[in-house]
Amino acid sequence: MRKVLFVFVLIVCFRLIAEDVEEKITAEEIIETMTETFNPEESDAVMEMTIITSTNQERTFAYRAYSKNRGEKSLMKYLEPGRVKGQTVLMLNNADDIWVYFPRTKRVRKLATHAKKQKVQGSDFSYEDLGSSNEFIDDYNSVLLGKEEKEEKLCYKLELTKKKDGDADYSRLIAWVEKGTYIPVVISYYYEKDRDLLEKELVLSDVRTIDEIPTPMKMVMYNRLDNTKTSMKFRELTYDVNLSDDLFTEMGMKK
Amino acid sequence: MRSKAPFLTFFIFVVILNLLAIPDANAEELDVFGYFEPQYIFLYKDGASYLVNSDKLRVDLQHSIDGVEFGADFIYNLYFGKKNWNMLDFFSSEIRSEVPDGMRSYFLYEFKDTLYLDNVYVRMSNPRIACTFGKQQISVGTGYFSNPVDVFNLKDALDPTYEQPGQNGARLDVMLSSRTSFMLLYSPIAADWESSGKLLRLKVGLGHFDFVLTGYEFQDHLTDFYSLSVINQRRRLAGFEFVGELFGLGVWGEGAYNFMESSDNFYEFLIGTDYTFQSGLYVLLEYHRNERGKTRYEDYNINDWIRFFRGENKTISRDQMYGMISYPVTDLINLQLLSIFSVTDGTAAIVPVIDYNIFENVDLNIMGNIYTGSEGKVYNSKLGNGVVIRARVYF
Repeated sequence: MRKVLFVFVLIVCFRLIAEDVEEKITAEEIIETMTETFNPEESDAVMEMTIITSTNQERTFAYRAYSKNRGEKSLMKYLEPGRVKGQTVLMLNNADDIWVYFPRTKRVRKLATHAKKQKVQGSDFSYEDLGSSNEFIDDYNSVLLGKEEKEEKLCYKLELTKKKDGDADYSRLIAWVEKGTYIPVVISYYYEKDRDLLEKELVLSDVRTIDEIPTPMKMVMYNRLDNTKTSMKFRELTYDVNLSDDLFTEMGMKK
Repeated sequence: MRSKAPFLTFFIFVVILNLLAIPDANAEELDVFGYFEPQYIFLYKDGASYLVNSDKLRVDLQHSIDGVEFGADFIYNLYFGKKNWNMLDFFSSEIRSEVPDGMRSYFLYEFKDTLYLDNVYVRMSNPRIACTFGKQQISVGTGYFSNPVDVFNLKDALDPTYEQPGQNGARLDVMLSSRTSFMLLYSPIAADWESSGKLLRLKVGLGHFDFVLTGYEFQDHLTDFYSLSVINQRRRLAGFEFVGELFGLGVWGEGAYNFMESSDNFYEFLIGTDYTFQSGLYVLLEYHRNERGKTRYEDYNINDWIRFFRGENKTISRDQMYGMISYPVTDLINLQLLSIFSVTDGTAAIVPVIDYNIFENVDLNIMGNIYTGSEGKVYNSKLGNGVVIRARVYF
């Protein structure tokens, strides 16, 4: 009986210690784990992007997306529709260097970092939203606000404020990151010049395990200012790839 | 080839299409795509209105087998409305007076229906080396409105992103490292090594910048109206390009020094900058100097105009400024305002543009052009103000 009681006390103690450790997790650790989970070492995907305009018109794009070094290098090649087919965007150094290839003129144009603010094919995603893998760490200071239910999931609620020397195009973000999986459930983006004005909201759902990595298969970006939305979903996805560095070059864009 | 043998071209195209349709175990499917582009140009000139209507069909083919890519496209252009023009009607009365009446027919121009193979090439590549043979797109230079280093294409500053015709050549691209590469091009003319084009380009990426060095030797043509002859001479071009970022602004530039065999050497350069504001407003500015252009508008002569229209000289005046403001008013509509300003004579062309993605695969493009200058200057109203309505249906 004493042995049973001892084991019981031991389990309770361990549990309390474990909870204490979890409670002491910092905002930076959550953001780091989330960034790691969200940006696997390499990926090869076919994505479908659907834009719904304020007048309820729909435009659908499909593109092949390759990513390496946890998103530090990425390449997007449009497959559909015909008017953009073959257009390719290469982003290196977490989208600090962007090149666009236009197949009809065979011209490659290098864009400066300000182009990260431009919408990708008129969608509610900017190049920064799609290409910058470590922006949450590099461009923002994060604070853990507590725990909260969001989309029926228990989440860490974090506030990320733009660093003084940061490149970010938003004044702050509020992120709800699911406890356990460290997958963001909702991210709210606030306007650069007004920290109280909600500009966009990203909702991630349909989490499935692909090659042992939990992955939200669907993302919807709501533009609260323009009243538009863009959804992205994976048609195909694998993390089990070994992508050559040669793919992430000007010659790779033209392939 | 363009106008003389459209049916032969079409026949060759059909044969290629059939050959490619033969199934092969290792082959990817033949990819057929392209667009149909009806275009209406309304022109108001010298108190009269004109309409030029064209229908363009472009069909692209692409096919790959084990790292060997075949690409081709043929273009069929049909013209309606006012098809016959005389270039002299666009010149000032002073310049027209230089032309004897008997020579007016020399300046006649007709928009003729054409069918031709625009590009047809085979490309063999591995991840680091690519060889391309045939008629292919060659685009060089970092400028948006004009490219001093690019002697292959005739960019229309009023419509600078419109596709350019293919160039015949054998090309080798070698990637030495992820951001270092070189390109060799041989563009043959009548199997004559001396007159054929020989190009070498070396591209290096350093930090947020890309730098390119270019050397090109080719045959230059310059029309001389006064002696009714064409001066053919060897031209050697040494070019430099850069593109990158400074203080948050996109910056680029390109310059070329041209060593001429039998006329004066000349230089040409362009520098540009751009910025995207948080609202999505995009602003671009470029300054372009062409030493072959004239410094005083009183000195413009018929040679300057003919050479400009024929693409032998990129500008009539020496100094130009280009500007563009672009703003996405909705997800599907983009407004642009382009302005081309001749610093030399103080005239400008203003081009308002509406781009509307009207359906999934249909773009509508409406462009106006307004010339502000008086007769005799570069952007003068004698050129005719107008509107271009262009739709493009992709398949």
